[in-house]
Amino acid sequence: MGAILDMLCSTMPGAATLASVQHAPAGASEGAWWVMLIPGLPILAVLLVTGCAIVDIRGKIPAWITVGSLAAAFGVTLATYLEYSGGTAITYGFRWIDFAWGAGEGQRFVADFAFYVDSLTCLWMLFVTGLATLIALYASEYMEHDIGPNYCRFFAAFGLFVFSMACLVMGDNLVLLFLGWEGVGLCSYLLIGYFFKKDSAVQAAKKAFVMNRIGDLGLLIGIFLTFAQFGTVKYAELFELVGPYLELVREGRVGEVPVLVQIIPVLFMIGAFGKSAQLPLYVWLPDAMEGPTPVSALIHAATMVTAGVYLIARTYPLFLVSGWALPIVAWVGALTALLSATIGMAQFDIKRIMAYSTVSQLGYMFCGLAVLSSAGAAFHVFTHAFFKATLFLCCGAVMHGFAGQLDLRKLSGVMKMSGWGIVGGAMLVGCLNLAGVPGTAGYFSKDMILAESFVTPGPGYQAIGWILLITAGMTAYYTFRVFFRVFVGPEYFEPGDEHHGDDDHGHDHSHAGGHGHFHPHAPGWAINLVLAVLAVGSIAAAGAYFVDRGHHGWVGGLVHASTANYEEGSAAFLYHIDDSTEIVAPVDGADGHAEAGEHAEDAHGAHGTILGLDPHAVMYYISAVFGLGGILAAAWLHGPKGAWGLGLGSRTEAAHSRADALMDAMQPVARWAQHKWYVDEFYDFVIVRPLRVLAHAFHVIDKLLVDGLVNGVGALPRLIASRVRPLQSGELHGYAAGMAVGIAGLVLTVWIVLAGVSG
Amino acid sequence: MDSIINPYLLFVGLAVAGVGVAMAVPRKRVNPQVIGAVIAGVGLGVVLLGLALANLDAIPNLHFYVFGLIALGASLRVVTHPRPVYAALYFILSVLASCGLYVVLSAEFMAFALVIIYAGAILITYLFVIMLATQSPSEERVEVLAEYDVEGRRPVLATIASFVLLAGVTSLMFKGTAGLEPAGGDDRAAEVLVDAAREPTNTESIGVDLLLGRPGTIEIAGVILLMAMLGATVLARRQVDLEDEAKHRAAEQLAARGGLVREEVQA
Amino acid sequence: MTDLVTMAQSSWPEPMAPATLAAYLLLSGAMFAIGLVGFLTRRNLIVMFLCTELMFQAAGIALVAFSRFHLNHTGQTFVIFVLTVAAAEAALALALVVLLFRQKDSLSASVWREMKG
Repeated sequence: MGAILDMLCSTMPGAATLASVQHAPAGASEGAWWVMLIPGLPILAVLLVTGCAIVDIRGKIPAWITVGSLAAAFGVTLATYLEYSGGTAITYGFRWIDFAWGAGEGQRFVADFAFYVDSLTCLWMLFVTGLATLIALYASEYMEHDIGPNYCRFFAAFGLFVFSMACLVMGDNLVLLFLGWEGVGLCSYLLIGYFFKKDSAVQAAKKAFVMNRIGDLGLLIGIFLTFAQFGTVKYAELFELVGPYLELVREGRVGEVPVLVQIIPVLFMIGAFGKSAQLPLYVWLPDAMEGPTPVSALIHAATMVTAGVYLIARTYPLFLVSGWALPIVAWVGALTALLSATIGMAQFDIKRIMAYSTVSQLGYMFCGLAVLSSAGAAFHVFTHAFFKATLFLCCGAVMHGFAGQLDLRKLSGVMKMSGWGIVGGAMLVGCLNLAGVPGTAGYFSKDMILAESFVTPGPGYQAIGWILLITAGMTAYYTFRVFFRVFVGPEYFEPGDEHHGDDDHGHDHSHAGGHGHFHPHAPGWAINLVLAVLAVGSIAAAGAYFVDRGHHGWVGGLVHASTANYEEGSAAFLYHIDDSTEIVAPVDGADGHAEAGEHAEDAHGAHGTILGLDPHAVMYYISAVFGLGGILAAAWLHGPKGAWGLGLGSRTEAAHSRADALMDAMQPVARWAQHKWYVDEFYDFVIVRPLRVLAHAFHVIDKLLVDGLVNGVGALPRLIASRVRPLQSGELHGYAAGMAVGIAGLVLTVWIVLAGVSG
Repeated sequence: MDSIINPYLLFVGLAVAGVGVAMAVPRKRVNPQVIGAVIAGVGLGVVLLGLALANLDAIPNLHFYVFGLIALGASLRVVTHPRPVYAALYFILSVLASCGLYVVLSAEFMAFALVIIYAGAILITYLFVIMLATQSPSEERVEVLAEYDVEGRRPVLATIASFVLLAGVTSLMFKGTAGLEPAGGDDRAAEVLVDAAREPTNTESIGVDLLLGRPGTIEIAGVILLMAMLGATVLARRQVDLEDEAKHRAAEQLAARGGLVREEVQA
Repeated sequence: MTDLVTMAQSSWPEPMAPATLAAYLLLSGAMFAIGLVGFLTRRNLIVMFLCTELMFQAAGIALVAFSRFHLNHTGQTFVIFVLTVAAAEAALALALVVLLFRQKDSLSASVWREMKG
């Protein structure tokens, strides 16, 4: 396909001259113009859809335009992958920002609208465009109740999102990345607030936006510092400049890396935490489920939230020379994974469970990056994109079919209902992946991270490994809790109230058998097709693990070929640890783990092995045990009687299961988990309330002092005038008397003054 | 100041004079004008006497006192007389007394100019206007006194303001004149004195001073007079619409005098 | 009377003592004060203008007295201008008075209160 496009290119005179200009720095080849189509086609779709909105088209044309252009963009991405995945190519668009404030070094700021294509870019864009195409197709059916201007609005924002994501991922420099970063944030805001007449949706959109701003500030300062330190924001030049520092780290002279260089990744990390919903800033993501489900699936599960992971992977060399960034990332990721998994276990809204699961899995990805398994993190991003999209779309199908019902206590046996087979099957595939059942893609990707976290020496990385393992068990439990309760068991449902309420407690006025007049409508061909494709994709993703074994699978190979690759001994924080223990032992990273184990055994005893065995080999079993254990626990607690409950379950009604007794038994904890550990309330109390009090105080000050001053200044002349006005009576004598008294006063004053002077 | 007059004497005298003037202002019922005038005269006399006694070597000549008394008395009468015509006539008297003072001060040209212009021209104009602007007497009441002529407006307040001003000004002036050298000490003045000796008369000197020293000012004065003449002409030519009330009153007067029936006017 | 004639006709007079000037100034001030009292108390427009003339008169006396005290003619020259202004003022003001009287049929200053000047 690349060749065909090149032929097309040669017939276009303008494009030829464009291509003839050499812009690529050393080490990167000139990219073909058609790479620009990847962001170009979605933005074209946005324009066309906007046109549809203007001419007031009622129909699915906007959806078809979007699906078509996204599919084309996917095709172009595929061509790009085939053409460039081996090396680095830069496609130059135009000079975007260029200003100088002096002729000296670092006094010129340049940012091109150019696209940097390497294997990491290709990986991300492949699943972004691919999933976007499928989910747009799904949305064409899902959003059909909104056909009209709102339908156009949805697809315009959808296309804009893909465009922004392309800028984010493919940008040649940090500024273009920031453009995309803010662009996806904007689209996220627009789509969370899609049902803008619903207050909770508006609040959620605002929350997401504000939370992201906090992170974005970190990223922005990081970009500023990058420019201040390196004098450039282009990746190609940046990585060349980081090279010497990497060399220093490799030689063990970590102390010679400037502190500023070590701070930059910490700031990037804050940005990543905001966008990818990590611990201090994660609270926006569950609320973001107020948006339409396709949006939740694409933006808030598969693609946008992995932007943080992408940012770290993209600027991995910077992270490797910092002694602090990656350990912080590891701990934050692990704690986020654990915390959100515990919350997910206690929720009843299936979409929220999936949201917390996303947060949890993002924590895994960050851990993967932090334990020097960038390949594992990328692979997990890849597999997670598929199975989480699947899960969300299944939840969306349920929600679509049952009028917004999302409470797992009010749905049961959905899979047995006619027309829901594909949904149930896809759900099962997604659940198996998420739970990490042996043989699934999720199993392999999770294992890569888990194994590395045990073998990589770092501050408390062993503990992180155990936290992640426990989290894996919890993940399996809450995933299959949903499956056992909603998809199998006795057939039962209560329809929701059309516009789906996010509130778990909103439907407590349940009346048994309330489905007298309601008939759930099974998903149509588009939803079924997409779900089937995604389910197959989720299963097939496992195959990627076996493609390029030398680099831990196909994804690993792609990462290996990019700057996100970890080379032996180039991580600064390892040396910090070793400095403290006075042992210098560079630990091998992605490759030879047997040696790594040996080295680590000398150095730290338990490091490098799990129970004295090769971590990769043993992790297959350990994580399988945790995963299956979680599933069995879910089956016993929530499973229905019979085969689908694996013979363990006892549930015969929709709402009642053994878990209820357990929940009652561990009441405070369960309630806290159900209330998300009161983190929102805590933030409200610690940040929002004081700010509000402060704002009120300032409001009062403003009213009293500032307004008082201003109004006082305004009122003073009026006050004086009201006293003076009667003097202008029109009475001639009054004026004359005033004049006489004035002169007399003047003379008296002079007299008194002179008397004072002479006396 | 104390070298010229005792300030307490000055203030007390002026206060007495003020009380007198306040009493002399026309009132409706009790009208002690004569007593007021006497008191005022006593007050001012005390001050002048004090002044003379304090400076026995520099007592002004008798003419000053004669003309001064006439001028002040006439002035007081101008202010207090309820009839404008008499006020104007007393003003002429006051002007004539001032002319006497001018002559005493060796300013005979100004004295005669004042008689001609003020007493002769301006005051005649006043009299004409008074004639034009007063309501003509009816048959029953030959002499009509307008209400606004009968009663002064806030005499006490006005007197206090005026005499405080006067006290301040005089005390300041007396303080200042003590430090002033009389002419002769001044070189320029002495020169003038020498050059002008014998040859030019007072009038000639004024003419020289006026024409050589201030030609521009004379031009401006001419322009002012011209504009005043034009303005007066314009104002006087204007046809005025009587207000309803005034028409009514005029009609009433006409009816009372000429036998026109009231009803006719009403109709 | 000879004294008077002498003063007017003879050669330059002797310099005047400050105390003598003070007497003239006191006279002038008293006249001014009386004029001011009149202006403030009387309501008849014509009489009010007469009072201003009286104040002009007082100023004139003071000016001539100073002229005599300093033995130059500036003060007297100034009186000429005072006369000019007084004449102009009289012409205009009286024309106005006539005009106003014709409109309201009254010389009271209060009837023109509504002009709020």
